[in-house]
Amino acid sequence: MDVDREDVSRRLHVKFVTKLDSPFKVPVNSVAIPSNVTRLGLSSIVNSIIESDNPEWKTEPFDFLIDGELIRMSLEEFLLAKGISAERTLEIEYIRAVTPRKEEEPSLHDDWVSAVNGSSPRFILTGCYDSLGRVWRSAGSCSHILEGHSGAISSVALVNSNDAETVTVATASKDRTLRLFKFDPAESVDSTTKVRAYKILRGHKASVQSVSAQKSGNMVCSSSWDCTINLWNTNESTSEGESVSVKKRKGNNQAEESQSEGEAVTSLVGHTQCVSSVVWPEHDVIYSSSWDHSVRRWDVETGKDSLNLFCGKALNTVDVGGEGSALIAAGGSDPILRVWDPRKPGTSAPVFQFSSHSSWISACKWHKSSWFHLLSASYDGKIMLWDLRTAWPLSVIDTHNDKVLSADWWKGESVVSGGADSNLRISSGIAIS
Amino acid sequence: MTKKKKGANEDKIIETKSKNVSGKSQKQKKPVEKELKPVEEGLKEEDLLQESGTDSDYDGDSLPGYLDSDDFDSDFFDSEDDGTQEGTEDGDVEFSDDDALDHEGSIDNEDDDESEQVESDKGEEDGSDEGSERGEAVEESDSSEDEVPSRNTVGDVPLEWYKDEKHIGYDITGKKITKKEKQDKLDSFLATMDDSKNWRKIYDEYNDEEVELTKEECELMRRILKGEAPHADFDPYAPYVDWFKWDDSIHPLSSAPEPKRRFIPSKWEAKKVLKLVRAIRKGWIKFDKPEEEPNVYLLWGDDSTSDQKSKHLTYIPPPKMKLPGHDESYNPSLEYIPTEEEKASYELMYEEDRPKFIPKRFTSLRSIPAYENALKESFERCLDLYLCPRVRKKRINIDPESLKPKLPSRKDLRPYPNSCYLEYKGHTGAVTTISTDSSGEWIASGSTDGSVRMWEVETGRCLKVWQFDEAIMCVAWNPLSRLPVLAVAMGRDLFFLNTELGTDEEQEITKERLHSGNIPEPEASVAAIVTWLPDELYGGIKIRHFKSISSIDWHRKGDYLSTVMASGETRGVVLHQLSKQKTQRLPFKIRGLPVCTLFHPSLSYFFVATRKDVRVYNLLKPGEATKKLETGLREISSMAIHPGGDNLIVGSKEGKMCWFDMDLSSKPYKTLKNHPKDITNVAVHRSYPLFASCSEDSTAYVFHGMVYNDLNQNPLIVPLEILRGHSSKGGVLDCKFHPRQPWLFTAGADSIIKLYCH
Repeated sequence: MDVDREDVSRRLHVKFVTKLDSPFKVPVNSVAIPSNVTRLGLSSIVNSIIESDNPEWKTEPFDFLIDGELIRMSLEEFLLAKGISAERTLEIEYIRAVTPRKEEEPSLHDDWVSAVNGSSPRFILTGCYDSLGRVWRSAGSCSHILEGHSGAISSVALVNSNDAETVTVATASKDRTLRLFKFDPAESVDSTTKVRAYKILRGHKASVQSVSAQKSGNMVCSSSWDCTINLWNTNESTSEGESVSVKKRKGNNQAEESQSEGEAVTSLVGHTQCVSSVVWPEHDVIYSSSWDHSVRRWDVETGKDSLNLFCGKALNTVDVGGEGSALIAAGGSDPILRVWDPRKPGTSAPVFQFSSHSSWISACKWHKSSWFHLLSASYDGKIMLWDLRTAWPLSVIDTHNDKVLSADWWKGESVVSGGADSNLRISSGIAIS
Repeated sequence: MTKKKKGANEDKIIETKSKNVSGKSQKQKKPVEKELKPVEEGLKEEDLLQESGTDSDYDGDSLPGYLDSDDFDSDFFDSEDDGTQEGTEDGDVEFSDDDALDHEGSIDNEDDDESEQVESDKGEEDGSDEGSERGEAVEESDSSEDEVPSRNTVGDVPLEWYKDEKHIGYDITGKKITKKEKQDKLDSFLATMDDSKNWRKIYDEYNDEEVELTKEECELMRRILKGEAPHADFDPYAPYVDWFKWDDSIHPLSSAPEPKRRFIPSKWEAKKVLKLVRAIRKGWIKFDKPEEEPNVYLLWGDDSTSDQKSKHLTYIPPPKMKLPGHDESYNPSLEYIPTEEEKASYELMYEEDRPKFIPKRFTSLRSIPAYENALKESFERCLDLYLCPRVRKKRINIDPESLKPKLPSRKDLRPYPNSCYLEYKGHTGAVTTISTDSSGEWIASGSTDGSVRMWEVETGRCLKVWQFDEAIMCVAWNPLSRLPVLAVAMGRDLFFLNTELGTDEEQEITKERLHSGNIPEPEASVAAIVTWLPDELYGGIKIRHFKSISSIDWHRKGDYLSTVMASGETRGVVLHQLSKQKTQRLPFKIRGLPVCTLFHPSLSYFFVATRKDVRVYNLLKPGEATKKLETGLREISSMAIHPGGDNLIVGSKEGKMCWFDMDLSSKPYKTLKNHPKDITNVAVHRSYPLFASCSEDSTAYVFHGMVYNDLNQNPLIVPLEILRGHSSKGGVLDCKFHPRQPWLFTAGADSIIKLYCH
């Protein structure tokens, strides 16, 4: 009797609401649930409710939000921590859990996969330590090999995909050059095609660490160990000087007939150490992270840095996204992923810090469409999916056996990653509304 | 009349004696004392006077003169005081009375013939002289010393209390009277010689002053000594008042007159005294020694209650307990009983402020309960008896932490390497040596498996492997970024490897430098030590030494390289010049076995560490060492120099590390003993104030080593972190800082290189 009463007293009246579409909807009725359920319990309750209506329902993990915060503990504790009254009927919003539902076959490379780019929904670009770039149409099917570099590729970027026929990609390499490739992804051939660069960008004095393209595709920027960020033109038309160099190369090597060389349009100088990463999210704004412990925002027109965030750690990666595409996420030589809001006046302290990794962070990427989601890859072999609304990772992808060197979103619902185990891994089925 | 004369004469003799004058008429010369002695001594003198005047220490010269006649004597007195003339007549009047008495006395005193004989010996006297003396005494006021209050007011206390003080007492106003300075004996003697009145001077101990006795006082004393009435005006021979009526009595009680012996000093007594005096003088009678103050005190006595304390002047007795009043009665009047409100207010008070006793009423004695604190107090008493310490100890309670030197918090000294995130795996043997390239992008490592590997710092990727046959002893990147050459030492060979990094132009220069086509002929002096050879294996240059290489160091300009051959003795250190491809010996002699060498980071100094010392040579000035740093270590294993060039760190095989501030001293500024085993290497960061040591105990220590530009401020050394992680077998063999980040690379015998980040 007593037990019963206690049980009753610990029951909460909740109402499940969702913005999801019909198959996921549950009747908007108040249900009494025990207060000690966790996310898993809530998820099974919702699943059972849906299943009662729809017998062909397949169990689906859900995540739950109360007042815009994800539940990561038992409901009781959550209410206590947030000071929400348990008397009235709680309204719990549920979303599909952000977690990969499907792990695709790894695509084996010959060497470490140092760069992954999933900007184009049609293919995945990878850069490898065997100095080759690869284009993967899907898991296990490599359509193009981008060859020409003499050193490990450190970064790949999609330059231009407006053109339906051909796409332009840029690769940065430790041989101090960047190369621009053009290929047609629609070529439906079973065998892989080898592609040679149409343009070689020389000018860096040390390994190029990162490359990023302007939205329009006319320019790319690259960062290097020589502490500079160089901007390059991507068009094929060459000036006189460049053609001369082409002729020279023709004499040396008959195979590189179509290659031209480019020189840096301008250099952004200011960093004092290796510039590890650049992103070019807007027309004339470049963000860069460096081993000199700073994140800078560059104004392309003036060539000056308009923002200088000091972090205290050597940084490996930077990305801009989130709310209004203004939040800066950066990770580096410690296991903490930091997110800054440069719009916030008077402070350079990070607004979010995610610290579930156990080693250096090698990559972080904002989700293209969501304001809240970002991923981070670390040398501890894990990729973590983060939501700004909770300090815990939404999901941990632990498929790599070694360091993860690069990761990116693909098609909005997959995570592609490459690591020191020489594999490209695709984790798909991530439901981000 | 003769009797009178006799008495007067006797008086005269004493007087002359006391004035240091001896009458010629007397049978014996009278001894003279310079100062009047107390009565006891006077007795002795009298004895001398009568018995053995000749043996006295009398000195005739010091006397003012001899009195030849009585007249002269009287003159002497007259001249002294004119006032005495007047009294002479009175004296005469009195004297006649005396005369009468004498007559009467002499009748019975026949048996006392001895005294009579003596008296008869004395010379004739005339009565006027005697009378003048007496009259003088009469006129003198009797209590002169009472009128003059004494200077000192200490009262009747033993003067030895002030023996050791600077003062003798206090005057009437309460001020201290300081002692006079003691006169020199010689001075005082001379003073006495000069002063004719000296014989009358007495030292008054009580007032600490010299008192000059007046003549009257002298007379007074003489009388006392003689046993006479002190005052002259006392008449011993006053006329007898016969109160007895003789007329009626048939048989008188006694018709005998007063016997003479009653008023004459006993001769036999004098003889007895004389005997005693003689005995004392000859030492037959020994007096007891003066009793010494017992120098003991009650050790266990309570100070507050001891007698000594109570005897002391400043003793203040403790206040007596208040007697119980009405309120402490068992049944006090109602007005003593506190009201309810008062009781309540007592409850609110602090324990200390609350009154100790609150009156209570009991109707009868029987109803009084037992003392409530009885048990508690008896318990406390028991604890007292057990010497149970219950009060707070007065022991100084020093927190051991507070004795530690004040060091800044580690948090304030960030960044420093503290956790390992990256490992560089690939070697199959113990990694003996690592070196970072100047940009910090690459590191090179050498291992006992004979391989030299080049790693990408950022990812831990091994980029290049050079395989050799021998275990690698040393690798060193050329400090110039434009000359990406790696020097590798193994066994007796030194290789220059082209890392194939850098731009194309840089590569061309590098290849040119490492071109082995035209190696010049070696100079004769070094031909026996080294040979430059082309390296067939990797197309560079190799230098073959005559002994195995133990250590190498690049000069900052990247052209010179020093190699150390530990067993090479005096030829153990050579300098190679890469651009000219030649070798030279050091322009100075090395004493002892060289262990490692260092180039100064900015000047032309060259450090050579032998097993026990570090010597600093100037490369431009050949000759002796400019400085010798005494480490005090048993065996030096490694050293590193601060980029400023003034501070040197030396690691030793006994686990000690010395920090030398070369501006300060040739002795270590600090010696740090941290490692239980050999220190294998030490490193200093190029830009951050950090230094590190690694040891065979498989730990690496990171220190904060701040060097200030201010010469007055000594370097600040703070231990920061112990870096563990390498497996315990073999320890950590090398450590190097990242050139730009506060990171530390450690090479372990477990074939792993670790990167510790901040």
